Amino acid sequence: MRLLSCAGVGARSWLPGVVVVAVFLAAVCVSLMVGSYTMTPGEVVATLMGQGSKLQNFAVLQTRLPRTVLAFLVGTALAFSGGILQGVTRNPLAEPGMIGINAGAALAVVLWISAQTSAYYSQLDLFASVGMPVVAAMGALLSTGLVYGLSHNHGIRPVRFILTGIGVNGGILAIITYFQLAMSKGSYNQVLTWTNGSLWGSSWTYIALVAPLILAVVAIVLAKAPSLDALALGDELACGIGVNVSRQRAAFVVLAALLAAFATAVAGSIAFLGLLGPQIARRLVGPRARVMLPMAAVVSSVILVVADTVARNAFSPIEIPVGVVVAVIGVPYFIYLMIKER
Amino acid sequence: MNDKVKRTVVFAAGIVLVAVGVLVSVCVGAKNIALPDVLGAIFSYDEDILEHVLVHDARLPRALCAVFVGGVLALSGAMMQGVLRNPVAEPSIMGVNQGATLMVSIALVAGLAGGALGGFLMALVGAAVSGGLLLLFTLTNSANQSMARILLAGTAMSTFFLALATMVGLLGNRSQELAFWVAGGLRQTGWTQVAVLAVIGGAFSALAFAWSGKVNVLSLGDEFSCGLGIRPVRVKMQVVAMLVPLCGVAVAVAGNIGYIGLFIPHIMRRVIGNDYRVLMPASFVFGAAVLVWADIAARMVMAPYELPVGLFTAIIGVPVFLLLVRGEKH
Amino acid sequence: MPCAIELRGVQVAYDDTVVVPDANLSIAAGKVTMLIGPNGCGKSTTLKAIARINPLRKGEVFLHGESVAGMSQRALARKLAVLPQSPAVPEGINVRDLVAYGRFPYRKPLGGLSKEDHEVIDWAMRRTGVEALAERRVDELSGGQRQRVWIALTLAQKADVMLFDEPTTYLDISHQIEVLELLRRLNREEGATVVVVIHELNLAAKYADHIVGMRAGKVAFEGAPCDVFNEANLRALYDIEPEILRDPARGYPVCIDYARVESANPVVCA
Repeated sequence: MRLLSCAGVGARSWLPGVVVVAVFLAAVCVSLMVGSYTMTPGEVVATLMGQGSKLQNFAVLQTRLPRTVLAFLVGTALAFSGGILQGVTRNPLAEPGMIGINAGAALAVVLWISAQTSAYYSQLDLFASVGMPVVAAMGALLSTGLVYGLSHNHGIRPVRFILTGIGVNGGILAIITYFQLAMSKGSYNQVLTWTNGSLWGSSWTYIALVAPLILAVVAIVLAKAPSLDALALGDELACGIGVNVSRQRAAFVVLAALLAAFATAVAGSIAFLGLLGPQIARRLVGPRARVMLPMAAVVSSVILVVADTVARNAFSPIEIPVGVVVAVIGVPYFIYLMIKER
Repeated sequence: MNDKVKRTVVFAAGIVLVAVGVLVSVCVGAKNIALPDVLGAIFSYDEDILEHVLVHDARLPRALCAVFVGGVLALSGAMMQGVLRNPVAEPSIMGVNQGATLMVSIALVAGLAGGALGGFLMALVGAAVSGGLLLLFTLTNSANQSMARILLAGTAMSTFFLALATMVGLLGNRSQELAFWVAGGLRQTGWTQVAVLAVIGGAFSALAFAWSGKVNVLSLGDEFSCGLGIRPVRVKMQVVAMLVPLCGVAVAVAGNIGYIGLFIPHIMRRVIGNDYRVLMPASFVFGAAVLVWADIAARMVMAPYELPVGLFTAIIGVPVFLLLVRGEKH
Repeated sequence: MPCAIELRGVQVAYDDTVVVPDANLSIAAGKVTMLIGPNGCGKSTTLKAIARINPLRKGEVFLHGESVAGMSQRALARKLAVLPQSPAVPEGINVRDLVAYGRFPYRKPLGGLSKEDHEVIDWAMRRTGVEALAERRVDELSGGQRQRVWIALTLAQKADVMLFDEPTTYLDISHQIEVLELLRRLNREEGATVVVVIHELNLAAKYADHIVGMRAGKVAFEGAPCDVFNEANLRALYDIEPEILRDPARGYPVCIDYARVESANPVVCA
């Protein structure tokens, strides 16, 4: 405990963390078992050990496991992104999906995809695949920059930042709609799953591409976490204890945008995940970023894994975009949180 | 220029804009129709003449629908802003439109959307549910009546309803059609729609104008309103009761056309001030004008393809919204 | 008398309104200086300008002879601590964690709190008398207790210049005295330079070594309470007609009654 205290981590108690991680592992197990070819836990374990049949290998190692790993990466990225934005705007209800970051990344990728000649995800050549996170990041940074620039009027006031984000979000969504309408039905459905979030395109290639990026940014955020905490004191006092408020705020917004961009690049635009994770985590382990953010990551991952399992299997063979399921589960809880908030 | 004169001028200008807009809308199109033919179509209709049919069955009802829908949306926006004491309120970001969308999607997929009346009823139900939910939300605790909170709740609910609608559309394999509908357009407008709009939209608009005095008082704040003899909760409920059919009708006929309810009241406020008794009718008139002209643009900009008119209102509306937020003092 | 803070030709504006047109002020080291003046006329703005919370349009601020403009925010925070009005309490935080924020300017890149940090935090809490409250939630404390916790945070910065923006405004008289006694003790025992913006005239007269009266963003008068606390100055500052009791035995003047007067040149303040 003392050791962790020196590293700046101080959790109230271990219990909530252990429970949540246990739930996460359970969710992972279920997602590996359930599907068009359902397996028992024993079979899953055997496959993971390398003793599965060809079919089992395919189901678990090639399809479900990468999806689950991706869900964890995306959940982590979005939870961190949301947690950062909530700290920066001092508003517990902010998250990247609502203020145009996801939309900007989505628009960039939609443009990129429609500029490629092939129509389907899995057939995108390597160049196009590698290009996606880059393009998404650029889109997200552009829309973030737009929101930042527009809300800058003698400095950024958090409320105005959020409202501007909502406006820009609406505008970008209108543009995406325009492109969607012009597409063929097949492309349209594909883009729809994209703009609503889907782990459909998950493969080990994508994971290899995006995991180092996400993990690197996450590490930077954890290192800078105390500054994020300090912003909670209000601009004036934060300034007084030595935080360069405008610079730190800009830096954190960029980091949040990058994380949301990488997540959107591989999974489409999944709103609300960046909100729910930190909200729940805060109630479990307190507001200190170095403890709360990792917990938020696990919580968001749980939600995403569960939502993905439901999205895949509930209406088989039609696959609902996972973002839709997250919204359907997430919004009622979100409203409930706002009602309970003083 | 004193106030009364100013108001008369403004109203006159608005009405002229609407009238000219309707005329232009009827005359201009994939096939331009000359004015004498238009007049002929109205006064001595001959169903063998193509131009007459075009005017009578397609263009005239469409233009009239644009008038009513635009007016109703702008009026709704003005009312919402007054009642919620919140200059950024308007139906399309409040979840009301999306609630209607959800019901329409269910109707589309289940094949229930028979005729204008069926679609309208479904949209009405959807708008009622979402409008009611939002109002309930603001009543739960006083912190939830602040601008940022209501907007976030409204955005959340829009996302929720839209997600459900998307799910329904995907399962019924009608997503793209739904998307066309959602984006908003006046493509399928006939005399039935005009009738529904005129009767229901007209009736509730008139009612709304009658309530505008109360909206004035309400915009001073709940506590003040009590002191001046108005029961805030009751008036808010009444206003929602009026907003629901108004928005429902507009969405049922024309899909999800956003931003008119937002920026028209604001512009009118700058021109003729904050008196809702004047602001609301003025918003109606200019909302009608804007939508008529936006519809013309939607038809003509990429002729012969038709763009969804909701796109145009977003193109103009979003920058205006952003400018307003920027100038806002918190 | 060595000068802790010096303002030369300082101009500060909010948006486009100039609140402080031209401030020239020297604050002596090791003394308790109090800024008084009407609402909205530049006292808090000046204080925040010193701490670089508000940017300067013109002029310079010097801290112990060194220009503040060139310093990094962290370096400045180690030399100068500021407690603004009504700071935000982070949700659910306890007293010790809040005071720990005071050590922020000394934190190492990846590390948390060192042994020395913990000692300073304990010391700050002891000096302000809140060590018994260490594990309590800040939002559950009374106004007076909370103010002492904020002061402990400021103290933990171990800066030898401390600025306080209206620290007594929302407190009852007993807590007001408690806070000012604490600030004076810090000055007398630690040698800290203390600058306070305050509204209560009599408290200013009692606890200040040096009083600065500001009106319309300019310094109207300054000096020891006995010297500057007089009818003419207070009339010019507040448009009041005070009745002042000067008792040499007490050592500081006391206002015992006031009446409002029509201002000769009313000043409209932001």
